[in-house]
Amino acid sequence: MPSFFKQRKKKTNSEDHKESGRDQPNNRSLEFIHDSISINLDMIKQKTGNSSDIVIRTLNISLHSEIKTAVVYVEGIVDSISINDFLIESMMKNHALQEKLTRENALEVISNNIVALGSIKLVSNWEQLLLSLMAGETLILVDGTNEALSVGTQGGETRSIEEPSTQVAVRGSRSGFTESIRTNTALVRRIIKNPDLWLESMKIGKATQTDVVIMYINGIANEKIVEEVRQRLKRINIDGILESGYIEQLIEDQTMTTFPTLYHTERPDMVAGNLLEGRIAIFVDGTPFVLIAPTIFIQFFQAAEDYYARFDIATALRLLRVIIFFISIIGPSAYIAATTFHQEMLPTQLLIAISAQREAVPFPAFVEAMIMEVTFEILREAGIRMPRAIGAAVSIVGALVIGQAAVQAGIVSPAMVIVVAITAIASFATPSFAIAISARLIRFLFMITAATFGFYGIILAFIMLTVHLCDLRSFGVPYMSPFAPFSPKNAGDTVVRLPWWALKQRPPFISNENNIRQGKDQKPHPPTNRGMVNSHTRKSDQNES
Amino acid sequence: MNRKWMFLFLMLTGLALTSGCWSKKELTDIAFVSALGIDKNEEGKYVGTIQLINPGNVAGGLQGGGGEAPSITTYSSTGDNIVEMSRRASTKISRRLYYSHTNLLVINEELAKEEGIINILDAFDRDPEFRTTATIIIAHDSKAADIVNTLTGVDKIPANKVIKTLKITEQRWGEHMEVSIQEGIKNLISPGKEPVITGFRMTGNTEQGKKLENIQQSAVEENIQADGLAVFKDGKLVDWFQGETARGVTWILDKIKVTDINISWEGEQEAVAYEVLRQKTKVSANMKNGQPKISIHVDAEGDIGEVMVPVDLTDPSVLLNIEKTVEKKIQKEINDAIQRAQKNQTDIFGFGEAVHRSDPKAWKKLKQDWNNVHFPQLKADVTVEAFVRRTGLRNKPYFFRMESNQ
Repeated sequence: MPSFFKQRKKKTNSEDHKESGRDQPNNRSLEFIHDSISINLDMIKQKTGNSSDIVIRTLNISLHSEIKTAVVYVEGIVDSISINDFLIESMMKNHALQEKLTRENALEVISNNIVALGSIKLVSNWEQLLLSLMAGETLILVDGTNEALSVGTQGGETRSIEEPSTQVAVRGSRSGFTESIRTNTALVRRIIKNPDLWLESMKIGKATQTDVVIMYINGIANEKIVEEVRQRLKRINIDGILESGYIEQLIEDQTMTTFPTLYHTERPDMVAGNLLEGRIAIFVDGTPFVLIAPTIFIQFFQAAEDYYARFDIATALRLLRVIIFFISIIGPSAYIAATTFHQEMLPTQLLIAISAQREAVPFPAFVEAMIMEVTFEILREAGIRMPRAIGAAVSIVGALVIGQAAVQAGIVSPAMVIVVAITAIASFATPSFAIAISARLIRFLFMITAATFGFYGIILAFIMLTVHLCDLRSFGVPYMSPFAPFSPKNAGDTVVRLPWWALKQRPPFISNENNIRQGKDQKPHPPTNRGMVNSHTRKSDQNES
Repeated sequence: MNRKWMFLFLMLTGLALTSGCWSKKELTDIAFVSALGIDKNEEGKYVGTIQLINPGNVAGGLQGGGGEAPSITTYSSTGDNIVEMSRRASTKISRRLYYSHTNLLVINEELAKEEGIINILDAFDRDPEFRTTATIIIAHDSKAADIVNTLTGVDKIPANKVIKTLKITEQRWGEHMEVSIQEGIKNLISPGKEPVITGFRMTGNTEQGKKLENIQQSAVEENIQADGLAVFKDGKLVDWFQGETARGVTWILDKIKVTDINISWEGEQEAVAYEVLRQKTKVSANMKNGQPKISIHVDAEGDIGEVMVPVDLTDPSVLLNIEKTVEKKIQKEINDAIQRAQKNQTDIFGFGEAVHRSDPKAWKKLKQDWNNVHFPQLKADVTVEAFVRRTGLRNKPYFFRMESNQ
């Protein structure tokens, strides 16, 4: 079976190549810019298909009518205020430089004396020129030179920073990532004010030319893993990257799994926390979801808040989440196994109650559970993509389908409704949607094994699941670490979360040798006499009075 | 390679599917047996009475259950042994009999007397479904079928009613004991201890008990109640212990939790009620001149529950007196029980085990004729220490002053 997939992959790759050859101006990339401005402008018009959002503005610099100049940019993705104020206006109205300016040094004078904007560079070939134009930069073309200036004027409308909608925290930062990659990297940079926070950017996607940034802390992140991430990203040869999910699927270690081997988050504080543990963040332009690599299984049970709350509460909540995960996987299958194979396991009274309810139900327990689970999945799917105005209708109908009406119709038993409801709540309560959704899939597998072999089947499926999880790797790091391979020293931040002063080391296998994260003796030591800190002053106050 | 994997995959899928759902039993296809009664008919065959639960009539609530239909249905079936009887029952019952929730085994008194219980219990010990934690009782003065057939109030499942009655009376009154099949078998095979099993009897009209009207009235005509302890010797029922003698047995076996002891006071019979709240009995054996001697020590602690004569309970000497009288009473109960058991030549108290523990070498010699020779001659030294912890909410009874005013 694997070779079957390999063949298909090869085929699609070769198709990609053909298509890309047609779409992309790769072959002409080495052509240099022409001397004549009119030819250049015609070329731009031709290459962009005379698109209506390309603005070509011809003007005279400093009253020099003989030096023909043009400013070219794409409307909407540029900051038009800065183009008008600091580019066009200063070019037109800077009379002082009139004498200095000649055709030969025009570009130099413009970049040194006229343009009042930060980022500016010279481009000489068409590929660069068009790329920077499409990335929101403004081109300055001067007649008679075979080079052009590219000014960084990226801007336009972007969403402002809002609270993340997928990872809400009661306590903690309220800011979430946006679609703009610059804003996103800045949000992390604001948390980690350190020159060792290194960024590497690249463009991925032959058609979309999406900005992708790798972020890591030099000196903490493992260089080998950074290199591996770099290599895997460079390998990507695809026409478009629309979301970080594309990158995730193209660089993950194992594709035949329902478990996510890369973590994605909307929270800058979470990214910062992971960077400090030696992980690497991958930012993709156009999405608020930032990828984190390498990822281990237990990360999906850790919420940002765990680190802000005190350790006992955090530990209790994490234990609860692990239980929740188990419930969401084996909830219905345990019901099936107990009612069709192992009736002796239930207390007599409960068995009689369930049996009385099942008297009127025409289906076997497995079919009953399947009906309810599928119904619930339908309901959930309907709820997600429903236009908001019709949302109320879904919940009303949903209450009919999973509830009293279904019971009264004699299709399902009330006990089954409760089992499905508990499972549903459990799958919503898992902090990471990525792992909850894989639990949803696996649940059906468990239901089938439970209906075939009873609890024996559940245990069998569980062993297989464990083997599979232990087999997974994320950028070479064992997915189940620090449980398998077990390293008790580093298990302080897994299902339990020790107090901060006890978490001396970074997680294993992830960071480089520099894995001590705090100084010695960080445990707080209150004064030994247990008196109030200001008791001395109190006494003196009394003495005075 | 590719073909091999596909083949393996198909094989595994096939394996999962062709196995079917063996041992799968849907809830609607099984009948829960709550109690099983065993009698013997004239032909010498076993007659099993199987009490099945009607879940819909028990659960209540949803189907508005109870009321219209009885919560149980009973079937009887015959066979030369228990398994045949159970299998033959399938000719009458539309569902597969399911014994995992059977909590009660009722055995006919005549059967226990004549044939004994040893060979019956094997079926229950061997069967993987049947739980040996099920309670075993003897039908006293009635057929096992009658006890299994009777409908009961409050607890809708008669088997539950019997077990719970037994549990509560063991805790609150102490004349009876709950004995599981497991314990019964353990005591049967132990040479130093013989089993005692609680008896249950019917009160009232047997036929009436099968009808729903029986539980549709406030004064239940037909009831099942705990009555006496059946004493076994060599697996056969030999005697019934009743009342205070039965309580003597539970004292020695350290099964008393709470009970009530009445003592006479100043000539008035049963005038003071002493409520035992906690007790501890220690049985020890020692060998003297080659003869075993048993000493039993009871520590009892309790309250004064009721006084029917004017008595000044603030006076410590009165309390000491009460304690002494209580001690004598308990001592008498215990001695009565021992004497009766010695007469029956059956060591139901596990004195043999105590001897075994204290002197294993001597026990090897005594073991052979323990029940018939040594146990009946055994000297038991009973000491009781009773203590009045409280006298309730009152010290002197309210009528104490009335009398002194006169």
